[in-house]
Amino acid sequence: MDNESLLVADEERDILQELMNIAFGKAAAELAEVISIFVVLSVPSIKVLKAAQLPEYLQEEIRDFADISIVEQNFWGRFKGSAFLVFPAGAGKALISLLDPEHEATFESGTFEVLEKETLMEVGNILIGACVGKMSELLGDVVTYSPPKVVVENEPRGIIPKNLFDPEYTAIVMRTVFRFEERDVRGFLFLVTTHDSIVWLKKALAAFIEHYE
Amino acid sequence: MAMKILLVDDSPISRKMLKSCFPKDATFEFHEAGDGLDGCEKFREIGPDITFLDLTMPVMDGVQALEHMKKHCRDAVIIVATADIQTGSIEKVMGLGAFMVLKKPPTKESVRSALLKVGEYREAHHG
Repeated sequence: MDNESLLVADEERDILQELMNIAFGKAAAELAEVISIFVVLSVPSIKVLKAAQLPEYLQEEIRDFADISIVEQNFWGRFKGSAFLVFPAGAGKALISLLDPEHEATFESGTFEVLEKETLMEVGNILIGACVGKMSELLGDVVTYSPPKVVVENEPRGIIPKNLFDPEYTAIVMRTVFRFEERDVRGFLFLVTTHDSIVWLKKALAAFIEHYE
Repeated sequence: MAMKILLVDDSPISRKMLKSCFPKDATFEFHEAGDGLDGCEKFREIGPDITFLDLTMPVMDGVQALEHMKKHCRDAVIIVATADIQTGSIEKVMGLGAFMVLKKPPTKESVRSALLKVGEYREAHHG
């Protein structure tokens, strides 16, 4: 796979941005159906990076958060990569009451931490699953997922694995920022594609836009 | 006479996709804007027959643009073309006077059906 074939043209970025917009819109609607919440959306951004630059890029993006909680899930099909849903510390606690109102007042240590982790996992499962699922559907693919991995309240440094991909490889990062209106919680969703799915992705983007020529 | 269509969306690809879904057996005069503010200016300038308005945009979002447009022309037909399909968003824009919500990605069928609805509405209200 030569570097030339991995260059991402402006039009391909625009298509990816629009697909991410559609996919995250679907994910937000699914979450809003499950829990009584309104998700304020923003314009997604697309970055093409060397995999070695990834941890630094992700840490810079979430620099406003002192501690974070993160839900990480890998997906694979022809569309292949990792999803990172990042919240500031405390977001899980703020969301518990939405998913499980009966437990809102339960502050027994241990139980509460488990509940917080489960809440983040559930929110992550819905947002990542619906977003990646819609993206792959629009691109004509079907993906499978690893079980979500949740890390609650930790320093951002080191949370994004350095050895996720070969450092020399290219990665496409699709980022969207959102806000849960009722809880004033901000979060980020990053989808990072692997090097070996980029050639397929370029073809899939061309096939997608061909319907609109 | 060609129907004047204003497409307001920050994504050039999204505008291209929407434009390509219009029926080829009719004539349309397309105008485009890349954000809500630009959209409001073009709206006042050209007086479109139908405006297709995205919600998530920089500078001025679609909700604000919708309010401005409806204030300027109460009878304006504004179709919100969006990926934000949360019930809360749909209720909000319908409450502000949007004609309907067109879910992204658009298709030839969804655009044709939206144009038919506008035609029926105009027939019923203006003869």
